Amino acid sequence: MSSNKDKYFRKLYLQNRIVKYIITFAGFSSIVSIAAILLFLLLESSPLIKGAKIEEIFSFSLPDPDKKPLLTGTDPYMRVYYIMSKDGVIKFYYASDQSLMRSDTLSNFSEEKILCVSRGSLMKDVFAAGTDRGRLITFRIRFKNDFIGQEPVVNINLKVLDIYQVDPGQQQQVNHIEELIFRENDDLYRFYAWKNHHGGFNLRIYDPDEEENYLHDIKKILPADFNVSAFTLDFEGSKLIAGAKDGRLTWYDISGLKNIELIQHWEAYRTEISALGFLIGGQGLITGSAEGSVNLWIPVRIKGQEFEFQKINSFESHSKAIKLIIPSPRDRNFLSIGSDGEIHLNYSTTGRTQLKFSPTEEIVSMAAFSPKSNAIIAADSKNRFGFYNLDNPHPEITTKTLFGKTWYEGYDQPEFVWQSTGGSSEFEPKLSMIPLIFGTLKGTLYAMFFSVPIALLGAIFLSQFGTMKMKQIIKPTIEIMAAIPSVIIGFLAGLYFSPLFEKFLMEIMLFMILIPVFFYITIVLWRFIPAGHKTGLKTGFELLLALVPVILSLAAAFSFADLAERVFFAGNFQQWLFSVIGVTYETRNSLVVGFALGFAVIPIIFTVAEDALSNVPESLVSASLALGASKWQTVRRIVVPAAAGGIFAAIMLGLGRAIGETMIVLMATGNTPILDINPFNGFRAMSACIAVEIPEAPVGGTLYRVLFLTALLLFAFTFVLNTISSIIGDKLRKKYARF
Amino acid sequence: MEIIPVTEKNSLEQDNRSVKRNEVVRTENLDFFYNPESHALKNINLSIPGKKVTAFIGPSGCGKSTLLRCFNRMNDLLPGSYLKGRVLIDNKDIYANGIRLEELRKKVGMVFQKSNPFPMSIWENVAFGPRVNGESDKHTIEEVVKSALEQADLWKETKDRLNESALDLSGGQQQRLCIARTLANKPEIILMDEPASALDPISTGKIEETIIELKKNYTIIIVTHNMQQAARISDFTAFMMLGEMIEFNDTKTLFTNPNENLTEEYITGRFG
Ligand SMILES: Nc1ncnc2c1ncn2[C@@H]1O[C@H](COP(=O)(O)OP(=O)(O)O)[C@@H](O)[C@H]1O
Ligand SMILES: [Mg+2]
Repeated sequence: MSSNKDKYFRKLYLQNRIVKYIITFAGFSSIVSIAAILLFLLLESSPLIKGAKIEEIFSFSLPDPDKKPLLTGTDPYMRVYYIMSKDGVIKFYYASDQSLMRSDTLSNFSEEKILCVSRGSLMKDVFAAGTDRGRLITFRIRFKNDFIGQEPVVNINLKVLDIYQVDPGQQQQVNHIEELIFRENDDLYRFYAWKNHHGGFNLRIYDPDEEENYLHDIKKILPADFNVSAFTLDFEGSKLIAGAKDGRLTWYDISGLKNIELIQHWEAYRTEISALGFLIGGQGLITGSAEGSVNLWIPVRIKGQEFEFQKINSFESHSKAIKLIIPSPRDRNFLSIGSDGEIHLNYSTTGRTQLKFSPTEEIVSMAAFSPKSNAIIAADSKNRFGFYNLDNPHPEITTKTLFGKTWYEGYDQPEFVWQSTGGSSEFEPKLSMIPLIFGTLKGTLYAMFFSVPIALLGAIFLSQFGTMKMKQIIKPTIEIMAAIPSVIIGFLAGLYFSPLFEKFLMEIMLFMILIPVFFYITIVLWRFIPAGHKTGLKTGFELLLALVPVILSLAAAFSFADLAERVFFAGNFQQWLFSVIGVTYETRNSLVVGFALGFAVIPIIFTVAEDALSNVPESLVSASLALGASKWQTVRRIVVPAAAGGIFAAIMLGLGRAIGETMIVLMATGNTPILDINPFNGFRAMSACIAVEIPEAPVGGTLYRVLFLTALLLFAFTFVLNTISSIIGDKLRKKYARF
Repeated sequence: MEIIPVTEKNSLEQDNRSVKRNEVVRTENLDFFYNPESHALKNINLSIPGKKVTAFIGPSGCGKSTLLRCFNRMNDLLPGSYLKGRVLIDNKDIYANGIRLEELRKKVGMVFQKSNPFPMSIWENVAFGPRVNGESDKHTIEEVVKSALEQADLWKETKDRLNESALDLSGGQQQRLCIARTLANKPEIILMDEPASALDPISTGKIEETIIELKKNYTIIIVTHNMQQAARISDFTAFMMLGEMIEFNDTKTLFTNPNENLTEEYITGRFG
């Protein structure tokens, strides 16, 4: 008997222990999994704040110090690099062991010296060289990857495309081409701007379709006192920019080929402009001054009319004059090189100098990006070459670009923009979080506008005035509403409701205005009906009564909608909206989302609030009624305050749902990331943005990481909301709910 | 709740049976049903005098509370219940058409068995009645609150902590606060449903003192299952059983020389 009891107790004890372990384990694992999600989001997004890193791979000295190198570069996979020296010899080396691969000579005159070389494009390896015999030699290097058996082999094709003898002029003197800027645009037009040793400044445009050369003497076009110290061309071949010793800049439009047009002439600095360079995209102009300052200029439409270059960013200054500006072929990074040999790596849009380094003790004479922008080659005045690995994964992301206004090319002022993908390779992703946060808040706001009053009033009605039977029907119905998959709500809202909404917009708006009016009228009339006729009416009858104003306002809305549209909105509301307020009506607009999202939120708010209201002790209600308070006074002064904690929690839960909801906002809006509170256009919410873009985002790329950051933010939002709601809810509950 | 009016009038005879002068509450052929199967009050005819304490006694479940709640129409809240007969207060049928519940309940206050202060400050609890009844002058409310607390013998204990939560008071204090809250409405009649049943003897004593004090100005109807209490504080006592009014008499007579056998059996403790 006693051993039986013992056994029983041991079993009980064991059960207790097992259950305790299971519960503890479950609790722990849920905490761990939340922490793991958070950690994962952090890990995926944290590289965004990592700065640029540079690391030397190898360096060596050229054997012949007299042969000044003029050009260097590498193939996209950095297997071969090339160095071109003054005598016109281009030597190709294997990057693996720096052994010579092959050597070519550009010039066919043995005495001829190359004085300058210019890269013609950021995308292809076309160059032009200027010689001391007045020749412009255009050539191309092509890297081809072949296979011999299993071994990948780099095949090099060096081809001279064009040799042009510059007209010696009346004096029959030979021109030394001292400085040259060359461009070949996508249509294969070639542009050559050069200065010769007589101070001449010329432009040659080659039209491949007509096989025609257009020659311009820029010197003659420029003002007489304009002493050119630097010049550049954009990669399109439409802008010629020249800078003067006194700090002036001038911009000519050369896209007319035959004629050159002055667009802008302005004072940029008080000192000499020592270097100029265009960035990828052909908009951003970098200027470097003799004092070492570096600035970004972009063409901005002034008063909606003409374009003018405007200074939009200043970069960290160098201590010496700027010698070279080298744009990255991939993004809006560029190198500014001072005459003391210090190299800065800057990102144009952010205005941030990411890296400063001096590769050698000597002065850097030349530098280049690798085609993938993942390495830098720099040579100093003593012919020492350095190869540097550049680790700069997310140069375009700073706190300011994510959360502040940023001035992008093509915009007239700094703005919050989300635009992650664009057509061309020159497209710059614009990843401001603000439109997404705004979108989420906008959607949430409209949803709450719609759902909070309905859900709370419904909960108050059902819990305080509803009969048992009504409770039995309404509560489960609304709970089922919560179980409708959001994709269905979104689908219906986006495909069915939004066109309907657009069609009956006037009617719906009129209905919204009329319904409170008719409700008021009904209530006033109801009071006039003698009391004798009212007794004997069952509870719940007021619901039927409420139908009267609903039906009346519906009828009125439908019969007067056309009239209202004609009288107030000049016959067409959407046109009126556009012309008077300047808002484009979108079919899938914020109101539609508000309704749809509200539909998803109502059950949550309703159920939780109804529970809270129903749980207010009957004794308090009785006490209030016994003191002569009316039913409504009791609800307002006793029941609602006593349930405040629960009601607050209900709203917060609804808010959390609205913020995190994805499918509905995805399907029911146009997902346009705009910053506009207007109800008739759309928005893009954080959640929907993640859903739309993550499949397209290359893993590990900037967009990918920014989307993870968005997720992290969303996580933080809901976390903070829940924390606030539980703190305040607790406080309210402490204050009101100790019965 | 449904009210079924009674046409026949046979109340005069009843009137003569009990205190005629100074009558404040009268019931005529009162029947109450929680639902058709639950006939809680059966033909109650009663006349309750003003400025006196009247106690309802009887075994648990006999309908004391139900009868009390008929006087301020708290039973109205129950769906499916209905009432036959008349309840007159100051000679006016309180179940007649056109009676405003709020006015009735202001006039007929109620203190419940379990103290139920609102989750607000002490001051707000007492001020609640005047406020919902349309008093907005802060000064008047201030005075009403003070006088109500004084009458409930709570002023001394709470005057320095009027802004503290009422829920921090002790059980006895809470019940006296509920009395004060009712008094703030300046009622004529105060209904008390076993107001001391959940309290310790000392608190009970205090409440009883308060009731005796209040008798000077108010008509008090109190339900109690404690016969000693009824004997101590009441002037008149009604004994009920199974929904019927067995005997209504002045307290002394009822306890010493009851008319009915059932009453005698009950007060001598033979059942109940
Ligand atoms: N809300 C109710 N619904 C149905 N029956 C009730 C309800 N309240 C009380 N009753 C019944 O009515 C009778 C009288 O109850 P009550 O007046 O509370 O008795 P007392 O207060 O004398 O103990 C009891 O039989 C009780 O079961
Ligand atoms: Mg009772």
